Amino acid sequence: MPAPSPVPATSLTLPGMVRGARAIAPVATLVVLFGAAFGIAALQAGVSDWGAVLMSAAAWAGASQFAALDFWQTPVAWLPMLLAVFAVNSRCILMAAALYPWLKDLPPAQRHAVAYLIGDPNFALAIRAHDGGERDVGLLVGAGMLLWAAWALGTLLGVVAGDLVAHPERFGLDAVMLVFFAVMLTGMWKGRVTALPWAVAAAAALAAYWLLPPNWHVLTGALAGGLAGALQAPRAPRDPGQAAAGG
Amino acid sequence: MTDTATLLACAAIAGIAYLTRVGGLWLMAWVPLTPRVEGFLNALAGSVLVALVVPGAVRGDAALQAAVLAAIAGMAITRRAVPSILLGVATAAAWRAVL
Repeated sequence: MPAPSPVPATSLTLPGMVRGARAIAPVATLVVLFGAAFGIAALQAGVSDWGAVLMSAAAWAGASQFAALDFWQTPVAWLPMLLAVFAVNSRCILMAAALYPWLKDLPPAQRHAVAYLIGDPNFALAIRAHDGGERDVGLLVGAGMLLWAAWALGTLLGVVAGDLVAHPERFGLDAVMLVFFAVMLTGMWKGRVTALPWAVAAAAALAAYWLLPPNWHVLTGALAGGLAGALQAPRAPRDPGQAAAGG
Repeated sequence: MTDTATLLACAAIAGIAYLTRVGGLWLMAWVPLTPRVEGFLNALAGSVLVALVVPGAVRGDAALQAAVLAAIAGMAITRRAVPSILLGVATAAAWRAVL
């Protein structure tokens, strides 16, 4: 590491991984529940039991997997399905981009392996810790491994128990994903900067939901909201701290 | 869906999911982050969720809508994700048990 900086160098250690796993354990418990909800929903959508578990183990992408279920039909609607998965998971592009200044000092092979473990909860944990001076990527990795295991295990439990729970909606289990999205969204509210893109996204998504063929509303709403954000960006008042730092 | 199609779909979904994760690293390494690109990406993250939640709530029944509203209120007040999610799910269950 030739970087001559005063901050400690980027590392990836086992103690860091243990710390990450410990810190994320309460959330991982909940992820087991989400995984079970996915397993149940997947069976209802016609996914085979092994297919649901395989998808969770390989993709490890909760919201995107739920989105993919809408397209689980014969013949497979490949393009809308993959676009929907991309659209829902595109927030990972942002998270990975935010982690880049930290991960860029890892060897390329490690960096590309670590990228696989980026998820919403461990990203939130790691980016906060990094702001506080943490440089051990193990925090992100250990938390990510535990979350991955919780998601795969939860799906397996859901697939096994899915046959036992005849009416998951009685327990509100069909609401888990929508509620999870709504809560994440509420946490992302940043006042006026978010108001316009979100309003545009909602209007475009509803219009597409009513007017277009099924399942294009997510992509339509997301792109419309993104474009609104791009258009308003240069006019947004510059953050004073940023302006000072940028000279 | 056949077993082959299931395997292909799982592989494709996993591939796309990984692409979005590693894509952010590639993006930062190669693409200049202009204010407009940054504005697009910033707005995209929330807009994806808006486009999922709003039609999902409109399509759902009253219990689902009550669950979403309760979860949003819980998160806005407490800023704690896990209790807010549980509140939303409990609201849906309670709504259906009572009505």
